[in-house]
Amino acid sequence: MTIDSASPKLTYANIDQTVLDTLRPATRPYWITVALLFLGVLLGAACWLYQIFIGIGVGGQNNPVAWGTYLINFVFWVGIAHSGTLISAILHLFRAGWRNPIARAAETMTVFAVCTAGLFPFIHLGRVWVVYYMLPFPNQRGLWPNFLSPLMFDVIAISTYLIVSSLFWYTGMLPDLATVRDRAGGFRKKIFTILSLGWTGEHEHWRHFSRTYLFFAALATPLVISVHSVVSWDFALGIVPGWHTTIFAPYFVAGAIHSGLAMVLTLMIPLRKIFHYEKIITLSVLENVAKTIVFTGLIVGFAYGTEYFMAWYSHNIVELETFRWRALGDYRIPFWIMVTCNTVIPLLFFFQKIRTTVFWLFGISIVVNIGMWFERFVIIIGSVAHDFIPHAWGLYRPTAVEFGIMLGSFCLFFFLFVLFVKHLPSVSMTEIKETVSAGENHAG
Amino acid sequence: MYRRTFLKIAGLGSVAVAAGCSEPEKTLYSLVQAPDDMVTGKPSWYASTCRECPAGCGILAKNREGRVVKIEGNPQHPINRGKICMRGQAALQGIYNPDRLKTPLLKENNQWRKLSFAEAQRLLKEKAAAASQKGRGRIGMITEMAGANLLSLLSQALKSWGSPPPLVFEPFAYESLKAANHRVLGVDGLPSYRMEQADFLLSFGADFLETWLSPVEYGIKFKQMHSVKDGRKNLFYHVGPYQSLTGANADVWLPCNPGSEAALAMSLVHESMLRGKGAGLSEELQKIVAATALPFTGESAAQLAGISIEQYRLLLDRVTASRRPLILGTGSGSASKNSLQTNMAANLLNLVLNPDLELFDFNNRHSIEIADSRESVLKFFNAVDAGGIDLLLLNNVNPVFALPPRHQIDMILQKDALFVVSFSSFLDETTQSADLILPTRLPLETWDAYSGKLEIISMLQPAMGRLTDAPHLGDVFLNIASSINAPIPPESSYKEYLYSSFIEKRLAKSASDWVLALRAGGYFEASSRGESVRPKFAKSLSDDFKNLSPPAETGLTFIAAPSLRFYDGRGANRPWLCEIPDSLTQIAWQTPVRMHPQTLKQFGLRQEDIVHIQSRWGSLEAPVYETHSVKPGVLVMEIGQGHANYGRYAQGAGVDPCRILPDDPNAPDGGPLLAVSPVAIKATGRRLKLAHLDGSRFQHGRRIAQAIALKDLTTGPSRAKPGVTLEDFPLTLPIPEGYDPKRDIYPPHDHDTYRWSMVVDLDKCIGCNACAAACYAENNLGVVGLEQVRRGREMSWIRVERYLDANHPDKTLFLPMLCQHCDNAPCESVCPVYAPHHSNEGLNNQIYNRCIGTRFCSQNCPYKVRRFNWYAWEFPSPLNLQLNPDVTARSKGVMEKCSFCVQRIKFAHGVAKDEGRPIRDGEVQPACLQACPTGALTFGNLMDPRSRVRKLAADPRAYQVLGYLNTKPAVIYLKKVLPEI
Amino acid sequence: MPAEHHVMGLFTEESRAAAAAAKLRESPWPLLKVHSPVPGHNLAQALDSPKSRVGYFTLCGGIIGFISGFALAIFTATRWSLIVSGKPVTALIPFFIVGFECTILFAVIGNVIGMLTLTGLPRYDNLRYYDPRCSGSHFGILASCRADGLDGLTDFFKEQGAEVKVFD
Repeated sequence: MTIDSASPKLTYANIDQTVLDTLRPATRPYWITVALLFLGVLLGAACWLYQIFIGIGVGGQNNPVAWGTYLINFVFWVGIAHSGTLISAILHLFRAGWRNPIARAAETMTVFAVCTAGLFPFIHLGRVWVVYYMLPFPNQRGLWPNFLSPLMFDVIAISTYLIVSSLFWYTGMLPDLATVRDRAGGFRKKIFTILSLGWTGEHEHWRHFSRTYLFFAALATPLVISVHSVVSWDFALGIVPGWHTTIFAPYFVAGAIHSGLAMVLTLMIPLRKIFHYEKIITLSVLENVAKTIVFTGLIVGFAYGTEYFMAWYSHNIVELETFRWRALGDYRIPFWIMVTCNTVIPLLFFFQKIRTTVFWLFGISIVVNIGMWFERFVIIIGSVAHDFIPHAWGLYRPTAVEFGIMLGSFCLFFFLFVLFVKHLPSVSMTEIKETVSAGENHAG
Repeated sequence: MYRRTFLKIAGLGSVAVAAGCSEPEKTLYSLVQAPDDMVTGKPSWYASTCRECPAGCGILAKNREGRVVKIEGNPQHPINRGKICMRGQAALQGIYNPDRLKTPLLKENNQWRKLSFAEAQRLLKEKAAAASQKGRGRIGMITEMAGANLLSLLSQALKSWGSPPPLVFEPFAYESLKAANHRVLGVDGLPSYRMEQADFLLSFGADFLETWLSPVEYGIKFKQMHSVKDGRKNLFYHVGPYQSLTGANADVWLPCNPGSEAALAMSLVHESMLRGKGAGLSEELQKIVAATALPFTGESAAQLAGISIEQYRLLLDRVTASRRPLILGTGSGSASKNSLQTNMAANLLNLVLNPDLELFDFNNRHSIEIADSRESVLKFFNAVDAGGIDLLLLNNVNPVFALPPRHQIDMILQKDALFVVSFSSFLDETTQSADLILPTRLPLETWDAYSGKLEIISMLQPAMGRLTDAPHLGDVFLNIASSINAPIPPESSYKEYLYSSFIEKRLAKSASDWVLALRAGGYFEASSRGESVRPKFAKSLSDDFKNLSPPAETGLTFIAAPSLRFYDGRGANRPWLCEIPDSLTQIAWQTPVRMHPQTLKQFGLRQEDIVHIQSRWGSLEAPVYETHSVKPGVLVMEIGQGHANYGRYAQGAGVDPCRILPDDPNAPDGGPLLAVSPVAIKATGRRLKLAHLDGSRFQHGRRIAQAIALKDLTTGPSRAKPGVTLEDFPLTLPIPEGYDPKRDIYPPHDHDTYRWSMVVDLDKCIGCNACAAACYAENNLGVVGLEQVRRGREMSWIRVERYLDANHPDKTLFLPMLCQHCDNAPCESVCPVYAPHHSNEGLNNQIYNRCIGTRFCSQNCPYKVRRFNWYAWEFPSPLNLQLNPDVTARSKGVMEKCSFCVQRIKFAHGVAKDEGRPIRDGEVQPACLQACPTGALTFGNLMDPRSRVRKLAADPRAYQVLGYLNTKPAVIYLKKVLPEI
Repeated sequence: MPAEHHVMGLFTEESRAAAAAAKLRESPWPLLKVHSPVPGHNLAQALDSPKSRVGYFTLCGGIIGFISGFALAIFTATRWSLIVSGKPVTALIPFFIVGFECTILFAVIGNVIGMLTLTGLPRYDNLRYYDPRCSGSHFGILASCRADGLDGLTDFFKEQGAEVKVFD
């Protein structure tokens, strides 16, 4: 399909213009935002330093709940990271044209989200200074990591995902980098000349590029699914009731896409407003995202239901107690936040009025993000807090240090993203041009 | 150090490195000339005697490189037979206590000034001389329970100053029991009981598993009496207004109104005589007893006690049916005004049921009987108050804490006219108000002899190098007293005094004889001194029972219960004792007041509310703990905490219940009264988060701590067809035989000669936590303190889980939970770096220095027995000297857990290899097992078909906790046996 | 004066550019390069260029990755042969995950290497006969001719409706 809805006047020239305008020298408010975000990052780093020297005890984790917000945030950010690749890869394979305007920003979101997520396992470790024990490298101790461990699956999967999505992102950006190079002058020209690797858009380039891009998409699609499955196995391979279930892989993948799409809306709507992308990122694009959110939301809701069915069907009193307590016990509030935000509220998108109103789109996307965070809370905290040995049951409450680090992680993500939108083309000019029906005069 | 700090600041990148190498600095000294009995790396064991309570258990102190690192029971000792309680384990934290005084202190206008020990003794000598100049009896002394030799030395010294012998002050002095024995049996003292030979046990409050007379001894005997023998199990009835740990271990707990015990016991006398008991007694005696018991009919008594007539009849049937019943009276503290009568009635009942009292040992009595009564102690202080003496010597007693505040002992001690010298090593309430503190050596550092029971003599010898220059108390007195008529040259040491007195008494024939005794731990053969005591009966008893005070029907009764952990409070500054939770409430570091749900409802209270309790004598505020283990209308608090001074661990921890107890001793026997009624309570509106370790009090039907009815056991359990559910999963031993293709995906794996395993007999476990204390001592566990316990970060490798019966919440099951060393351990495969893995002897190894702290293992452990080092736990000097050199002290950020005491297994391997043989069954004794008084734990090799663990695993009672997860735990539990009631 | 002249015809519509390219190929003038802002189907047809062979690189990468992933897992597990959770030392099912992730990783790397090799990127000397507009809205066809043929070539481009740019 094409974004005909808004593109009678959309020509190559004014596509370039709209995008390149976003790269104009930044204003003071922009730099203030960047500075504030950077302060947030410093705060998070300070909290982490403090934790390293005093001990993990400064967090709220305990026995039985030895995993806290660090793992929650890890899964949360990995989840966010997913829709980027989904949009750019899977929808690319499906030839869903509406993905083109948001693909670049979504991929960027992926890369930065993976970076943020990747920090949390380190923050979480009791002895981060020996984290290299997890790397399979020959050492005088003759010791090696244990590839039976889900955490090692993680190491492999997440690092693969980071490398692949970064390469995907960069490769896809080459033609645009060339465009910027050809419009820029002075120092920026030099930089972009190097970045664009001498891309001239000659036919030979395009021939191999398109093919490469296709393979990229073809490889990224199974990868993105495998990565969040692996993340889900961090729990599903455990023995804990509430974790130990085969539904987790699809459940987590759906959840990841759910949160990812929500984050896409959260990022796109302001971007669209500030950079006057209305013509390119049209309402119908956002509407399509919203429709997909309804879909993923339903899948997630179905997964919630299935878990309860399994608990009831198993007749296993431990499972039953876990899920009874999840809905009625000490953590019932997070649970109901999760259900409402992830499955009930997104259903509002069934109304066209709502899914075509920017205000609602934005608001609900935030709500879904919150809901998905609490889903991870309910799963990770709620299950171990109340598992096999009643005498060992216990509760967990995050501490200020943990919130500091969490704030830091959000600041880091937005810090990187804000830097990106001002210095690299945040919308793929090439791909928009491709969708604009060729034939008429493009010089405009 | 600067380089390191720089690196630390230098940003996240280098943090890893910096934090990684920030290990504590160590200083290593090498001995140029080692003492001949010390080989580096080899422990040397010294036999000695535990002095943490008057019971006087024999101990072996393990000495490594000159410091004691562990205390274990002395297997040859007749009292404790190699076992030891948690208080005994914690003796180490007395000598290594960071708050221990190292030098004498002199109080000068309320400032403490340090003195040298020589100065202090000179000063003491002057004071003594001056006081003795003034006339007779100007010097007074109060001492804790001590050995005969030391006491006689003290008396001689005092005599030489023309003063009376020292007063022996023990807060728990069994006045009422002694009086009762005197009046009924004509015996002045505390006979010991052959509890193991009884076939029925009835206690009217005697807490013989915690503090009463000799807890370890009676713990052992109790389980001998109470264990299953050829299809039978003897019953234990506990009658009392609240459950002590002992009460919780009873087959039946009859909650009676406080003060009704005496009437109840007498009615049993009455009724059983109606049933023709007591025929063996002399005519005349029968008359007396019958006459005394006449007014007490079963109905009235039952009604008075507030127990149903059916329960009463059942009890009566049991009592009369049994052949060798043993009836015990009140506990260490008298829980009611009638404790004298209760004890008398108990004795009478024993007489009637078993006329020749074969379960009493009148010769080998408990030596605590020499302790002076509370009455005389108070009299003494009144005399002191009246200015009766000039110099008061205090030896390890804490009357300011132990005696009700209204007596204002501290005020008396602080009088200017009175010069008070304390020989205590701790700045407790009493020592605080002394004028001169002259710390003396603690039992593990001294030569001495002590007799827990009259017919044995148990030796003490220095088990370690000295931490301070403190002299032995005996040496102090030999030094300062003008004339000691001892057969030793002047200027010689207490050791020589001791030795010569042994020679003189013909106890030791020669020096070698003496050394042998030291090595064995003392003289244990019943050297019955004096004629064997025979009971002779009083003529009339009825007067005592005439003025029986009625039980408190109206209003609330407040009871201060002697504490398993702190005894009378002397244990309150031992971190282990504070950290290990109370067995019944599972609460650490705090003293809640236990109340029945009905009572709470009545006053609109909830658990954790702070309640204000007001008695005629004082008031206190304490958090509420809701429990069915007390009778409605009864409030129970543990004695021991709430110290104003004592040390960093005691101060501010808990509340002292004694402050609202009656001031005056109980008239008939002169003992203290640990109960007060009525008391008024009101909510303060404030709340206090309790540091309780239990997430839930119930099992939620998960078959964790299991029990089986005796008849099911004897008829043989109907073995259902094995399945894969919680209900019908079979016992799967962690050896190839335990694998079944129908259940297991993976094939079995073999082990190398040994497959270590432990069997826990829930029928034997009394929940005394001795195992936990032993583990803290052996494995260098960190003590985390109140706040961290609240956050659920306690480090115990073995914990005694307490589960209540969902239908009868006053019934308790104890289950020691430790690493199960599963054959298919879920914790292992999730670790990314192999830190936990399966050893070739079946152990679940945890490699501390490989651990990176992902904590996945803990998350994945179904038993939640893994412990994480959230911080670098502190061992304030010199507590660090107690650390076991055979066990790594873990740094922050690593996971740890029970290792089955792998260091001991390795040690056994070494020995066996030297002797060219395999390790013998029972040769390896993990610390918990070694301590366990009732022998509830068994350890051994499952691959040896003749090993005890293997045999026990075949027991019909054997099961595995959460076995249906098919982790194949190597810890096998034996169900508790519930006899027919 | 140079023997060779490079002439670029700049079109604003892909269709015309494609047509011109087709014509040019029948003409004597050698068609050097075709620059376009987007991959054009018409152009591809006009130049009937073969399918890219970047896929072989990807495939090789994938195969190498699959093997090395398994090899790594098995190698590390057999160094100490520690038993964890009663599982066999070399448990192939879990190792498949390692194998799979490595497959993707190496395939992608192969993919990128393939593209770089085949396109000859990165290179920075190819901007001489290039017009910046080609990355924006114009389609540039670069041809060369001898000095005497210059006018003919420019006329050819002109009549195709292109704007002509002559390099020298």
